[in-house]
Amino acid sequence: MKVFSGRVCKTILLFSCLLLLLVPMAHAEDHEQIFQQANDAMGSGDLPTAITLLQKIPISKDDDNSAFVRSRMQVARLHHALEDFKAASASAQEVLAIYPDNSEAVNFLASMQKELQPGYVTFLDDCLRFLPQLLKGSVMTITLVFCTILISPLGGLLIALGRLSSFKPVSSLCWFIIWLFRGTPLLLQLFFIYYGLPSLGITFKPFTAAIIGLGLNYSAYLGEIIRGGIQSIEHGQMEAAKAIGMTYWQAMRRVIIPQTYKRLMPPIGNEFIALIKDTALVSTIAMVELMRSADQMFNAYFNITALILAALIYLLFTTIFTFIFEKIEIRAGIYENR
Amino acid sequence: MKTANQPLLSLKGITKRFGALTAVNGVDLDVCPGEIVVIIGPSGSGKSTLLRSVNFLEEIEDGAIVFEGNEIGYLKNKHGRRHLDTPAKICALRSEIGMVFQHFNLFPHMTVLGNVMEGPLTVQKKSTAAAREIALDMLSKVGLSDKRDVYPATLSGGQKQRVAIARALAMRPKLMLFDEPTSALDPELIGEVFDTIRALGKEGMTMIIVTHQMGFAKEMADRVIFMEAGSFVAQGTPEDFFANQMEHDRIKSFLTRIL
Repeated sequence: MKVFSGRVCKTILLFSCLLLLLVPMAHAEDHEQIFQQANDAMGSGDLPTAITLLQKIPISKDDDNSAFVRSRMQVARLHHALEDFKAASASAQEVLAIYPDNSEAVNFLASMQKELQPGYVTFLDDCLRFLPQLLKGSVMTITLVFCTILISPLGGLLIALGRLSSFKPVSSLCWFIIWLFRGTPLLLQLFFIYYGLPSLGITFKPFTAAIIGLGLNYSAYLGEIIRGGIQSIEHGQMEAAKAIGMTYWQAMRRVIIPQTYKRLMPPIGNEFIALIKDTALVSTIAMVELMRSADQMFNAYFNITALILAALIYLLFTTIFTFIFEKIEIRAGIYENR
Repeated sequence: MKTANQPLLSLKGITKRFGALTAVNGVDLDVCPGEIVVIIGPSGSGKSTLLRSVNFLEEIEDGAIVFEGNEIGYLKNKHGRRHLDTPAKICALRSEIGMVFQHFNLFPHMTVLGNVMEGPLTVQKKSTAAAREIALDMLSKVGLSDKRDVYPATLSGGQKQRVAIARALAMRPKLMLFDEPTSALDPELIGEVFDTIRALGKEGMTMIIVTHQMGFAKEMADRVIFMEAGSFVAQGTPEDFFANQMEHDRIKSFLTRIL
């Protein structure tokens, strides 16, 4: 066979070499074409076709331009979009079978698993994540509430007695305190104490400023409530106390004020429940309490579970308070039971 | 100086005004130790105000209160203006004069025993044990020993008033003032309160009683006084008063109205 001369052989060899070189390139071009077609299909909303197209790209172990991984992950996302989570997972698994460390596939599976787990599991997971911080904040909130509860009834009683005093300067001063602290927003008072007073040379730590602000504000409110309670006691009680020789202060201490306890419990309980929520305002003067903690979590994770959890903790506190005050009210009025 | 016939209490020209209204208009009254004086009269005639003035629950504008020979309760400043004595002095005076109110005014947050103990305990600073002993004694006097541990809300009106009497007596007063003690009571409960007051009278307690109960006035009083428009219109022993003063038109019309 002289047909295949040396020249011909040479040509064939050269051609096949060229072909060999061209095959991968042709593959790559095919893949890009497929991606293009798949994109078009997606563009027209035909996801199943896109999936079929993408799946034509063969499994490849040396996936140089990562067409295989890209296609399978795209398939996985498309299945996910079609809510066929099993197929989506299978597609991602296909990638992992070849490249067990592929982070995209790992993350995809993890986030899908999280998505697919029951809502309450996600919620509980989030709760566990946020609770430590929120509880730390709660401790501060409770500390603020208790300090104010210790201070404000005493302050309120002083203001109330001062208001009832026949000595004009004292009653005027107490009237002024009530007028000032009841007539301006608590937020403004806190700002003034924490940010404003330093310019007058008086500087407080955030906690001190918060206690001063809450204490004064609630003393003013309780002052009016206690004054009302004292004045609601029948005048005859004071006369009877005086008639057996008591001084004004003895009568107040032994006869009048003890009778106000039961009447004062509902409005004071109300105030203290408002107080629990008002402590959230001190987050504006660099205090990290429950509200601030929740806000931090919410901003860091953009997860409303932090806020829901904070709401639940506030509700827990107010519920406990409501319960305690009902009990105290019953105890305080025991003499009225027939 | 104290003599046998010296009155325990002398009121001299007592005058009390509420704005333009003169509630008590220059009243004079001597009450001897052990005497029971009953004051009657229409409402608004100044009876209660007079009684409350004796206990400094009302500050009088004019007149003097003399107790055991000493003028009490008021001082004059350097401009000659009268004013109430110091609170400590007034409290000390009040603790010698017991008062019983129309509406009892028991302390509702204290038990019956607590009410009666309160004076000795808080005012006289007696020990709990001593105050308790006095209180139990007074409660047995008014016949309510069995009620000592209950709260006033559980008592009948008559029982409340008897506790109020015991509370006043616990201070060992020298004079007792009763301001319409039965006016807030159901008719069937009036008797028990008067029995208690009657027993006190038998023990020699000096008393001024404002009441509308003529039967009681007739039976108990050493002296009956008719008061109207801030002044004493007539007075006398019960026999004399109800027999002779009835001729007095205003008394007659008052008595026919309430009897």
